Amino acid sequence: MKKILEISNLFHSYGNEISTIKDFSFSLKDGEIASIIGASGIGKTTLLRIIAGLEEPAEGEVRIKEKLVSSKNFILPPEKRNLGLVVEDRALFPHLNVKKNVMFGINYMEEKESLTREFLELFKVLDLADKFPHEISAGQQQRVAFARALITNPDILLLDEPFAALDKKLKSDLHVETKKIFKEKGLSVVLVTHDEDEAEYFSDRIIEFKEDQIIIK
Amino acid sequence: MSPILVILFSLFSDYSENWEHIYNYVLTDYIVNSFILVSGVSTLVIIIGSVTAWIVTNYQFLGRRFFEWGLILPLAIPPYILAYTFTGLFDSYGTLNEIAGSIFNLQKSESLFPNIRNVYGAILVFSFTLYPYVYLICRTAFLNQSRSMFEIGRTLGLSQKLIFLKLALPVVRPALIAGTMIVAMETLSDFGAVDHFAVSTFTTGIFRTWYGMYDLTTAMQLASMLLIFITFCLVIERSSRKNASFSTISSNFKPMQIKKVSSQQSFLFFLICFVPIFIGFILPILEILNWSLRFNSGFFEKHFFRISFNTILLSVFSAILCTFIAMLINFSIRYKNSSTIKAINPFLNIGYAVPGLILAVGIVQLFVFIDNNVLNSFEGYFVTGSIFGLIFAYIIKSYALANSTYEAGYQKISQTLDDSARILKSKGLNLLFRIHFPLLKTSFFTSILLVASEVVKELPATLILRPFNFETLAVSTYIYASEERMIEAAAPATAIILIGLIPIFFLTKMIRASRLEGKE
Repeated sequence: MKKILEISNLFHSYGNEISTIKDFSFSLKDGEIASIIGASGIGKTTLLRIIAGLEEPAEGEVRIKEKLVSSKNFILPPEKRNLGLVVEDRALFPHLNVKKNVMFGINYMEEKESLTREFLELFKVLDLADKFPHEISAGQQQRVAFARALITNPDILLLDEPFAALDKKLKSDLHVETKKIFKEKGLSVVLVTHDEDEAEYFSDRIIEFKEDQIIIK
Repeated sequence: MSPILVILFSLFSDYSENWEHIYNYVLTDYIVNSFILVSGVSTLVIIIGSVTAWIVTNYQFLGRRFFEWGLILPLAIPPYILAYTFTGLFDSYGTLNEIAGSIFNLQKSESLFPNIRNVYGAILVFSFTLYPYVYLICRTAFLNQSRSMFEIGRTLGLSQKLIFLKLALPVVRPALIAGTMIVAMETLSDFGAVDHFAVSTFTTGIFRTWYGMYDLTTAMQLASMLLIFITFCLVIERSSRKNASFSTISSNFKPMQIKKVSSQQSFLFFLICFVPIFIGFILPILEILNWSLRFNSGFFEKHFFRISFNTILLSVFSAILCTFIAMLINFSIRYKNSSTIKAINPFLNIGYAVPGLILAVGIVQLFVFIDNNVLNSFEGYFVTGSIFGLIFAYIIKSYALANSTYEAGYQKISQTLDDSARILKSKGLNLLFRIHFPLLKTSFFTSILLVASEVVKELPATLILRPFNFETLAVSTYIYASEERMIEAAAPATAIILIGLIPIFFLTKMIRASRLEGKE
């Protein structure tokens, strides 16, 4: 399988010891799901933000589909990387209804209506299309966030603790549904979580961030 | 920046004998009085603005719907007009003393009310005309707070009063500081009210030096000291704001629930909200009406309509322009995270604190330079004495208002919204108009209201920079009042107040309907 993401000799720090990423190298194969686990503030989210182009590395390189996207002196903007991002607080646009949130990234496409309908159906939120984010539940919001991220057909899906704020039942339902969709669509996924069971359930590989070392299982 | 730099460069000019006189005899008075004034006004506006904003956003009480917009009414009254009417009301021969005298059979020499022509009178005048700045910003901030936070506070044993003091106020601290800073800058740069009350502050000192000693350089040197003081305040404000960056707008937002209260509490809340409106709006209106009726003023004549049109045109155009500039600068700071723009932005706020006349001098000197050296192909002066100078001055003076409104708005938009939008290929102006602009609609209209009402009231800069024979309502009021022709002054003064009311009315409707009720 081809490598879709390659990170080599990555360094990053905000100036405090705990958030430091030191000499991290890693690659993700096409269709693979990798999880990053570790304590809070250890740099998991920072790594995801570097992959997304929202943060600059101090040293090292990030390549997506063999193309250099981040290095010390070069940053390809996030909007040019063809990625999907789902975060814990969902970050749905509060002034747009569910349908417009999902359609946001494909507004320029002719088939946007049919595609939006397809993804609303896929994530079981079609009947909520006209609702605003504050009018739906947390689980429904997360479904909308997944639909919005996947509709653009991203090369890599970045997940930053997307299930953390959900209750156990909702979480396990969404786990089953989303993993099925990821596998059916052959998605390459990087999942940041502090839940080891969640990481084991989803992942082909687990990377554990510790204070002084990184363990790849 | 250029007019401000012109003023600051005066620090490097020679210091005259006048400066020595000021330094030895009156500078301490200027500093002490300015300090007492700003401290008193800041304390009062924080109390009035935050308490009234909290009450109208949280409780159902007698007259709540009126107070939501009614509390902004004093914005329509410039401090100098309130100062004129206060002396008309409370002086020993004032209207209220006359009424009290006839009721209580007082001697002509006896006065029921204490003398208000002092720094404490000035504190009252500024507090009751300027508290709406804090009220408006606090109200927007309280509306954007999610009720879950307060519900959690209640479960942790906090009473309603403690929720306000320990949760609501600390969370809106950036907005509170922003609003109070605006009030402090407005207080420090005012001339009309402190001059009327004979309080020696920096601004009266600057004016006396200019018009009394005819020493413009020393006046500008005094103004520079004031600017340095303001810059110091701004730096403190910035650093405290940086340490208290709160993001509350997210998809999980749950609007506040309005609570019902007992009839005693309802009456108490009514009184708390009514007193500021009564002192800052109803009393001066009654006094102006009293003047108009006594002198049988003729309101609607051609000259009056012409100056009203000039005022509306100038205020609307300047407000829209200033708001767009503030929006673009704040967007650039957020989007590009440019350290250069971040570093320059606080300096742009200083314009608000520059006394109007001093700013006018800076602009005149700058425009004369441009006319003589850059636009010298035109015959005579092209930009000097034109309407550009006025708009330029208004934008410089009002930028802090527009900027603080946008800053407070941006602080409440979570960075994850930007991240998600950028991943979804929304960048630059697309991000601004599809995500930020709809979420900042309240900030946009608040900014337009604040700037427009500021422009309508602005007196000294307009007086100096206006094109020949071009009058606005403020200039007209000043000319009539300075000639003790209150019969004519009452008409433009009333118009200033009425024009100030129109944007207040529409803005309040928009604020009420803003955010979650709104669609794309």
